[in-house]
Amino acid sequence: MNGTVEIEKTGILKMLKSRRLGNKVSPTGNILINLLFIICSIICIAPIILITVISFTDEKELLVNGYSFFPEKYSVKAYDYVITAGDTIWRAYGVSILVTILGTILSLMVICLYAYPLSRQSFKYKNFFSFFAYFTMIFGGGLVPWYMVYTQLIPIKNTLWIMIVPYLMNAWYMMIMRTFFKTTVHESIIESAKIDGAGEFRIFFVIVLPLCKAGLATIGLFCTLGYWNDWWLPLVFITEHKLYNIQYLMYQTLNSIQYLASGSAQFSESSKVLADLPSESARMAIAVISIGPIIFAYPFFQKYFVKGLTIGAVKG
Amino acid sequence: MSKAKRICSLLLISLLAFTLILTGCTGPITPGTSSDTPTETEDSPKTQPEEPTVKLTWYLVGNRQEPDTPKVLEEANKYLKDKLNVSLDLYVFGWGDDYDQKVNTALAAGEPIDIVFTANWAANYNVNAASGYFTELNGYLAKYPKIKEILGEDFLNGSAINGKNYAVPTNKEKVHNWGWLLKKDLVDKYNMDVSNIKTIEAIEPLLKIIKENEPEITPVCIATMDAPFQLLDWDRISDDDVPGALYPDNRDYTIVNHFLAPESIEHYKLMRDWANKGYIHPDAATMQNQVELMKSGRYFAASQSLKPGKDAEMAATTGIEWVQVDVTRPVMSNRETTGALLAIPAGSKNPEKAFQFIELLYTDKYMKNLLNYGIENVHYKKVSDNVIELIDPDNSGYNPGHGWKFGDQFKDYLMSNEDPQKWDKFLEFNEAGLALNSLGFVFDKTNVETQISSCKNVVQAYYKQLFTGSVEVEPTIEQFEKELKAAGVDELIAEMQRQYDKWRESK
Repeated sequence: MNGTVEIEKTGILKMLKSRRLGNKVSPTGNILINLLFIICSIICIAPIILITVISFTDEKELLVNGYSFFPEKYSVKAYDYVITAGDTIWRAYGVSILVTILGTILSLMVICLYAYPLSRQSFKYKNFFSFFAYFTMIFGGGLVPWYMVYTQLIPIKNTLWIMIVPYLMNAWYMMIMRTFFKTTVHESIIESAKIDGAGEFRIFFVIVLPLCKAGLATIGLFCTLGYWNDWWLPLVFITEHKLYNIQYLMYQTLNSIQYLASGSAQFSESSKVLADLPSESARMAIAVISIGPIIFAYPFFQKYFVKGLTIGAVKG
Repeated sequence: MSKAKRICSLLLISLLAFTLILTGCTGPITPGTSSDTPTETEDSPKTQPEEPTVKLTWYLVGNRQEPDTPKVLEEANKYLKDKLNVSLDLYVFGWGDDYDQKVNTALAAGEPIDIVFTANWAANYNVNAASGYFTELNGYLAKYPKIKEILGEDFLNGSAINGKNYAVPTNKEKVHNWGWLLKKDLVDKYNMDVSNIKTIEAIEPLLKIIKENEPEITPVCIATMDAPFQLLDWDRISDDDVPGALYPDNRDYTIVNHFLAPESIEHYKLMRDWANKGYIHPDAATMQNQVELMKSGRYFAASQSLKPGKDAEMAATTGIEWVQVDVTRPVMSNRETTGALLAIPAGSKNPEKAFQFIELLYTDKYMKNLLNYGIENVHYKKVSDNVIELIDPDNSGYNPGHGWKFGDQFKDYLMSNEDPQKWDKFLEFNEAGLALNSLGFVFDKTNVETQISSCKNVVQAYYKQLFTGSVEVEPTIEQFEKELKAAGVDELIAEMQRQYDKWRESK
């Protein structure tokens, strides 16, 4: 008995040693890999820095010399424009933040409440409801019927809710979450809780959810990004200018400029109209401002992020 | 127990499905019924002492909703209450996708909007009219004849589809021509004579002077489709980047691929020559926005679609003085007749009131200017009877630039920096126009959607290099032609010709 353990130990030690040797990165390889990742990081970060620099560049300078990381003349005029452009931008900012926070919380709740029963073996209609969710991933009703549902069946057009409700349930996130529940919370844990006298709700909120923080954080981040970056719902449903969110405001400006500059607009006033739209640097200033809060969401979710993603992805 | 549950869920789901079907039905039904109901509702309250004010919802395209819109609407509604007993709800949406998406979905869903802006380039007039989303206006046009008087039969017919008017065009410049805007300080400095420039080539000596004496200035300003190519003024059948056009002088009825017509190839060669001589910026093919470039003050000549007073207008937008040089002959084309229209959606509950309001935009100077420039002494002040100045030009609460989008533009006040004779010159300009052979012809794209989109892709890949002279002409043309052929340009032109011939016969 003892002998076999000894042999096993040395065997494992040997294996570990050889493995470490085999896995060791050579100095040149190390430098190369580091270099590769440094380049990757620069490629990711450089555009953001460029946008920020452009937003601080003098407008005239932009027209004459084009984009540059090191402009000759700096100016804060673009931000001046953004700040004095009335409350439009700040209001849109507020709408975005409100919708993102409210939407993420509600969406997480709906997704978890749907996913959790499906993860339980004892739920009888598991297959039906899985299919029900899965079906929506393959077939959609089309734009106009979808539009009618939110304007006539549930009349929430031109309210804050229209930017939240359509994204509340996401079948794909629900499936990730279901797999997460299944793999993280073993049936025996639930059973033991039951034996100790906990009801279903208590099991879910006190035992299951805290165990699945990583999954919640991952899906939460997806939802946050989804809500923050959305301009499609306001594009279709919002006609009231007070309810525009920041992404839509940006989309509207950029899209207008692109459209007018493409020459598709066949009217003689297009050039005049184009000139009235915000200048290059002002647009960049809006872009910089819109990055703002979402950048703070990343570190918050970071610690759970990697774990959550791999679990969801492997068994998805 | 489980059986009961199953039946219950089945019932719930079928109920859900049923309501979905029902809501789907309401769309198509409303247009039919709406034309009947308003007459009833309009008749019945007449017996009551006070008729309820009708609310008109109006969608317009523009840069943004001006911050002071509520103030202006309040003022407008006070006036409209006595006049027509209507109140106005105005929404402005961004150019391109934004406006199209909003309007097209709302129309398809049969929403009760009363007035929408439409054109051949926004909320596609032809498609939406053909789909039955717009109310036919011939009856109203006969009942309230003032619009017809102001616009003239010809112009109004230009926007009709199969003899039926589904929208009314703005009364503005009815023709267009192409030419150059030249930087005024340079024209003055070298004492240039611009009166003899009647062709594209004629400008070359001026470009030469600039090239030799002004190292800081690029002679020609080109960005995307805003290129001297436009001075050929092809009478395009479809979009800017779709092959297929008639000659702009009514010489025949044959549609040609205008990107590869002999005149165009000659033009590409000229551009190549100019580029070699340094008249065109070497990276012109990557430029995006001609007006932005003009603002920089580093360009001498820019090709532009012109009308009287264009120089003053561009001076205001670019902050640089320009000299206007008209090159092509003014023509009246579909671009003008369906360039800016107002339509009444079929979903409107009060089409008659909506039409009366539209008529007011043609006849009522106060209303027109209120919506265009805002409130007197708040947003603008009068300099003289018909000339105004903005009170705060840089940060005005209401300066939407709506003038050309609706009604009778000739009733608009003039800005103090504009030519006081502007409207007279407009009228003269309109008179001089040649009505093109294609006026009133609407190309239906449905049969050749694939060819159009593949041809567009090919054109998008080639036109910039050719328009800016960035590449050798012969080999590029060869390649261009080959790819266009592969994209199905021949079928496309044949389909255009077929529809055009059919339309001419029916006329």
